[in-house]
Amino acid sequence: MINLHRVTKFAFQDITRNFGLSFMTVLILILMLLSVNALWSVKIITKEAVGLIKDQVNVSIYFAASAGDKNVGEIEKYVKAFPEVVDVQTQTSDQVLASFKQRHALSKDVLSALDELNANPFGPTMVIKTREPQDYKKIIQALSVPEYKDLIEAKSFDEHESAIEKIQNITNRTENIVAGLVILFAAISFLIVFNTVRAAIHTQKVEIGIKRLVGASNWFIRGPYLIESFIFSVISLLATIGVIYFTLRFVDQYLSAVFPSGFSLTNYYNSHILYVFGLQFLSVLVLTVVSSALAMRRQLKV
Amino acid sequence: MITIEGVSKIYSTSSVALRDVSLHIKAGEFVSVIGQSGSGKTTLTRLLIAEENPSKGKIKIGDWDISKIKTNEIPFLRRQIGMIFQDYKLLPQKTVFENVAFALEVAGEKSKRIRHVVPQLLEIVGLSDRKDRYPFQLSGGEQQRVAIARSLAHRPKIIVADEPTGNLDTINTEEIIQILKKINEFGTTILLLTHNREVVNALRRRVITLHNGQIALDQEAGKYIL
Repeated sequence: MINLHRVTKFAFQDITRNFGLSFMTVLILILMLLSVNALWSVKIITKEAVGLIKDQVNVSIYFAASAGDKNVGEIEKYVKAFPEVVDVQTQTSDQVLASFKQRHALSKDVLSALDELNANPFGPTMVIKTREPQDYKKIIQALSVPEYKDLIEAKSFDEHESAIEKIQNITNRTENIVAGLVILFAAISFLIVFNTVRAAIHTQKVEIGIKRLVGASNWFIRGPYLIESFIFSVISLLATIGVIYFTLRFVDQYLSAVFPSGFSLTNYYNSHILYVFGLQFLSVLVLTVVSSALAMRRQLKV
Repeated sequence: MITIEGVSKIYSTSSVALRDVSLHIKAGEFVSVIGQSGSGKTTLTRLLIAEENPSKGKIKIGDWDISKIKTNEIPFLRRQIGMIFQDYKLLPQKTVFENVAFALEVAGEKSKRIRHVVPQLLEIVGLSDRKDRYPFQLSGGEQQRVAIARSLAHRPKIIVADEPTGNLDTINTEEIIQILKKINEFGTTILLLTHNREVVNALRRRVITLHNGQIALDQEAGKYIL
């Protein structure tokens, strides 16, 4: 207990007496964390934007006027059984007619032409939503069987197919680019932090030698650096959280204009605070501890 | 106290620092070790504090054979041998008090005892009024006195002083030697490695002369002869 107290005291002494170097180390850690969070935020915003577009994409099935409610009901049950399907909205012939009339309430010509027919020319429609855009193909294929040939008049998927593929490509590419950038940035940050910590320890090479000569154990020499790593991790993370929340106040104003769904990064960070910052704290701690341990390996040989 | 039996330190066939050195230093002796640069004086010091292991032979401190000392035992050995160096080796970021206290802190001494012992040590070397200063605020002689106070922290039975007056003027040299003599009078064995002819001659104590890694002369109440 005495030793832990002393090692902690030495760590605080080292930090204050080598303030310049401590400040630089923390600053680099903050810059690294801010960059990682910027990339993280871009990923979240992209995901939200793509999700929004995906939500607006669906497949409409237009049934023949002769298709009875019973057949449509069976097909609805069949479609709902697919695990990929998240929602199915069906309109009967009468509902389609009513909404058509409502849409064209001001076009007297259209309405009089409809009256001339003396019968409802519309068949039921079915709007299907799936989890992922690529799932639509499977649903369409499942409905393109001879038994349904006379019941289904048209499917709107063909019109959406290229748009869906494009979204899919953009999503995949964005995710790959962001993942690549995160890995690249993490590697660069690791090298910068590693060398900063190593430089800090190298400047204290003589001191470490003296500590060994007066009989300090490895724990007494290594301990202060480990505790310093912990303190640097805590300070840099707290500062990063402060900067992020301050910046989000401005960013969220723009996001609320772009996303009508009310998406906000502040809400995202609030609901994932333990996961996002816990993970970052652990990463920074491992990074600084490993850097210190590697840098001290040579100095600790007695 | 210190027994060295047939010790050699061979780095390569063309670089032999010590060859078959044997000597015995009794408890309470004041021994000067002299020799030209490269004669093996520093290697001898490094072997005594287990910075290196001998290639051949045995080194015993009391009954403790340190020739094949385990890594985790080295800090304990170093707490039993007080070391003084030409360049003082003080921690620049610590005050005089903290430098001396550090030697006790690493050994797990209680804070109360440290607060009691350190002023006494600073009193012995005459630096009570300098306890809050940093090494760069002290003269060379004062820094060496801090190093002596630190070397005494564990009440060692042996003090190894490697060129302790190498960077000092005549007055400071005399002061340091007087402090070492005083420490010796209390029963501590002193091993003084030096180039200083006047110091060795004035001491009139045992002198071991090293030449090419071997003991060339071992004189009781000897003089500086090279």
